[in-house]
Amino acid sequence: MELIATARFKKAMDRASAATAYTERITQLVADLTRSGLEVSHPLLEAREEASKATLLVLTANRGLCGGFNGNLIRAGVQRWRELGQDDRITERRLEVAGKRGIAGFKFRGDAPDVAYTHFEDKPTYDEVELIANRYLEEYQSGRLDRLDVVYMKFISIAKQQVAIETLLPLGSLGDAAEADSPQVQTQYEFLPSPKSILEEVVPSSFKVRLFKCFLDSAVSEQIARMVAMKSATENAGELIKQLSMEYNRARQGRITSELMDVIGGVEALK
Amino acid sequence: MADHASDATVAADLRVVVVTPEQTVLDVTTDFVALPLYDGELGVAPGHAPMIGRLGYGELRIGHGREGQLFYIDGGFVQVSGNVVSVLANRAIPRERLDQATIEESIRSARVLQAAGDDQIARRDKALAQSRAQLRVARRAR
Repeated sequence: MELIATARFKKAMDRASAATAYTERITQLVADLTRSGLEVSHPLLEAREEASKATLLVLTANRGLCGGFNGNLIRAGVQRWRELGQDDRITERRLEVAGKRGIAGFKFRGDAPDVAYTHFEDKPTYDEVELIANRYLEEYQSGRLDRLDVVYMKFISIAKQQVAIETLLPLGSLGDAAEADSPQVQTQYEFLPSPKSILEEVVPSSFKVRLFKCFLDSAVSEQIARMVAMKSATENAGELIKQLSMEYNRARQGRITSELMDVIGGVEALK
Repeated sequence: MADHASDATVAADLRVVVVTPEQTVLDVTTDFVALPLYDGELGVAPGHAPMIGRLGYGELRIGHGREGQLFYIDGGFVQVSGNVVSVLANRAIPRERLDQATIEESIRSARVLQAAGDDQIARRDKALAQSRAQLRVARRAR
């Protein structure tokens, strides 16, 4: 099990790192766009004053045996769900959960998810995520959704993953590194057809990519959690075997000794 | 970018990087690339001025003539800077992987689709435009 988890983790990790190329380039593109003096404004970027319809998306795993992975996510998700429920401004809240464990966890706590996804395994594809992303975008634009929070396991390093709650809609800012970039050689770009039209397209794209990244991070973190859980299970089993075989040997030796004592006792009695 | 230095040497090769959200599809050097921009095709040769453009649905041609590679690009962006062409596409499908029969089928099903309201009509038109562009790429004689 540990070996299987390790192999799966490697695959998931490769997929996640292959996806960073796109994220990096889109961040670069946005940085260049903003440096050209364009005012970045887009309906997806601005928070609405009346945020009454909220959706919470919780990404969990389909399977267990991965330590505290699902438990931590469900706990964070439930807490945020309650917070949304207590917020007076929010009149309508929807719960969406990916992963069988999360669905069962929420049901057990009495909050049945409105939408449940179970088809995301350890290889989420962009096409699948794009479908969901498009639906969110459409709902947001038509005013049926004011705010989207995603609860997922953020991959920081192989040794560290964290439960993260991120507000993806409204997007807030485009790419965190956009402003932090050191001013490089200023290149004057030509925009075809116009910066505005490009921006219109960039914003939804970066939302989709961010959502996709959440799914990828979650898949990688799940495999790491499973790997760690299986490693400690293997070690624990080895220790148990050691302990049990020692106990067995002791018991056997004890029986042999007591039989010998019987024989010797019998011989002594015959004398 | 590291390639700013090579701006001056016009004869240098063009590096084309095609990335989709899932992976880097292609990273090659060539001498010419034709991009499907939003409103028409754009050819890029080495030494092109820095540019950011919006891509439509259509074919991406890398290299000249018969050795060239053909891709179907499903919208996205392109950034040209210092002899590096970065294509950020939602999807990039090599010509060889496009199947005419399935595309024609999807065009047929899209045409008979009932659409009510601007939203649905826009979605249907988008699907049609995508399929037709795919068909154009697939049918292209080598």
